Amino acid sequence: MSATDVYSAESGPNPQEALVKFTMLLGGVVFLLMMVFGLIMRVAQGDLISLDPEMFYLLLTAHGAGMVGSAALSGAAILWFFSARHLNLRSSIYIAFLGLFLAGVVLILGSIFIGGYGGAWTFLFPLPAMSGGLWEAWAGVMFCVGYLLIGVGFLLYYLELGLKIASRYNGLLGGLGWRYLFANNSTDVPPPTIVAASSVLVFNTIGIVFGAAVLAASIVNLLLPSFEVDPLLAKNAIYFFGHVFINATIYMAVTAVYEILPDYTGRPWKSTKLFIGAWAAVVIFVQAVYFHHLLQDVNMPAWTMAVGQVVSYASGVPLIGVTVFSLAVYIKGSGLKWDLPISLLTLGVVGWGLGSIPAMVDGMVSVNKLMHNTQWVPGHFHTYLLLGEVAMAFGFAAWLVRDKAVTTLSSLDRLVFRAYVFGGAGFVLVFLWSGASSIPRRWAVHYEQWQLQSQLASGFALIVVLATLVLVVRYVAGLARRSQ
Amino acid sequence: MIRIVMAGTAFSVACSLQPLVGQDPVIHVLAQFPALILAGSLLGGRFRLPQHLTGPTLVLALVSLAIWMLPRSLDAALLDPVWMVAKFVTLPLCVGLPLAAAWSHVGSVLRGFLKAQAISMLLFLGFLYTHAPMRLCNSYLVDDQQRLGLGFVYLACALILWWIIPVFFGQISSNKKDDDNDVSRHRIELR
Repeated sequence: MSATDVYSAESGPNPQEALVKFTMLLGGVVFLLMMVFGLIMRVAQGDLISLDPEMFYLLLTAHGAGMVGSAALSGAAILWFFSARHLNLRSSIYIAFLGLFLAGVVLILGSIFIGGYGGAWTFLFPLPAMSGGLWEAWAGVMFCVGYLLIGVGFLLYYLELGLKIASRYNGLLGGLGWRYLFANNSTDVPPPTIVAASSVLVFNTIGIVFGAAVLAASIVNLLLPSFEVDPLLAKNAIYFFGHVFINATIYMAVTAVYEILPDYTGRPWKSTKLFIGAWAAVVIFVQAVYFHHLLQDVNMPAWTMAVGQVVSYASGVPLIGVTVFSLAVYIKGSGLKWDLPISLLTLGVVGWGLGSIPAMVDGMVSVNKLMHNTQWVPGHFHTYLLLGEVAMAFGFAAWLVRDKAVTTLSSLDRLVFRAYVFGGAGFVLVFLWSGASSIPRRWAVHYEQWQLQSQLASGFALIVVLATLVLVVRYVAGLARRSQ
Repeated sequence: MIRIVMAGTAFSVACSLQPLVGQDPVIHVLAQFPALILAGSLLGGRFRLPQHLTGPTLVLALVSLAIWMLPRSLDAALLDPVWMVAKFVTLPLCVGLPLAAAWSHVGSVLRGFLKAQAISMLLFLGFLYTHAPMRLCNSYLVDDQQRLGLGFVYLACALILWWIIPVFFGQISSNKKDDDNDVSRHRIELR
């Protein structure tokens, strides 16, 4: 750390700690609730309970929006916490971000459970306006306005981060580390967290701008249906926003690994040229790869399909080739003592890496023609979220309230961790198996011959829910213990 | 004195465009309006505004600008002499002048927010004017309306480049308010 840092692990409490702890509590509770929604949907698909299909799509919408929202909230909290080690961030901005975020959540929940909006978290145009009588236009508007509020909150968040990084590191190019990478200027090289923060704020701001544009257009279309948008243009904007936004949640959360792992290994995570180059590639790839969501849109230009397929493969290089490999190198021979936080954080990186592999497979045009609308896709994104971002978030939360006197896995911690890994791995493998068996996704009611997979998945999901419940309770108990 | 002369020049340019604004909404909105706002802002830059008036002044500027964003205001300014006079009075004195006077007191996050809002509003107007299935202004044809919509989009793109590129190279404008809030100057207290 440089002499201008305002906070270091040795200098006292992080000024953002209380706010971040509160955020992680919110995130953990919402994760748990959304997992319960997911469990209910899988149980219903397995015909173990009777669930009105209309309610299924409400739960599907809430589960999608809630999980993406919780991942974004927890990722943002992690990035804010560790950025505050290097920058003078103002709590007032974070409070404004949190307030706008929660206001957006209220509107989204209201639109779903009061207005009956069930058009999925992707709000694919013109679906919000084509409810078939299930919801009124105002519910769709409410859902979109909720998203816009969250987007405005993130804009404030990134403005503060961007301004402070640009001031501290002589512009965003300094924060990205590109002066070191391209001009070999090794003075004041930013730490990994700042490289990650700079990268995320660049690509996620662009993503949110596109999302806001298509949301505004959707709202106008809902209120004045004669204002029509080109549906393919809208789909491009929505999937660009959606892909970038959900990936940003993981790229924000991974800063916990960069900052916490050195406490365990005694080896600081360094901003090498390889590291900065990998993040430079991420800034480009995470935006260019979104075409792989549109491989079934036959009227997209052929070059976009080529870009989508090639960049899908290329995206794995900075992730698996640099982050996962670096993690293994930092851990190997370090004498690291495994406890719950570091176990979950390591799981998060490994799960993230593994979760990208089914995406690369599905990113091939020939495979995508067959697999796109099957459960292969939720299998992919549940791997990198459930075993990736969510694991990192709970690892960070466990680290926040850790008992420093305890340096090993207790038997309860070991049981919870194993249950989370076993249940999570089983759950996502059943999704992938179902996808490979051509079982479609987003169907409320499954044929009898598909129900075995849903029943097995329900069992695994129950194990994950119970493990997560213990993680949340453990976090609350940790907060209570530390406040005494 | 130079500022007053420049403000007068900008106002004169705006007046000279008046015969053309009935024919072309692009000249009306993207040439005459900015010239009038520029005239006011050149005057407002010299104005020493008390800190506690920053909020009301900003609200005055933004509300006044919002009124002039309405298509019916454009129509009225062409058809009604009172509205035409109001345009020449309010755009310099209720938008440009207060905005420039308040700007030095505005924190960098709020500045960034206002810039982002300006860009998003321009893009949103661009969408509305290019996609509207009917004429939004009675005084202009649909083709003219769509050209204006594209003009909003081009202006938004230009502003993005103008405001974003300096951020990459570290040329961040700051002000006293930010300095006061900069906790790095109070490191010892924090620790």
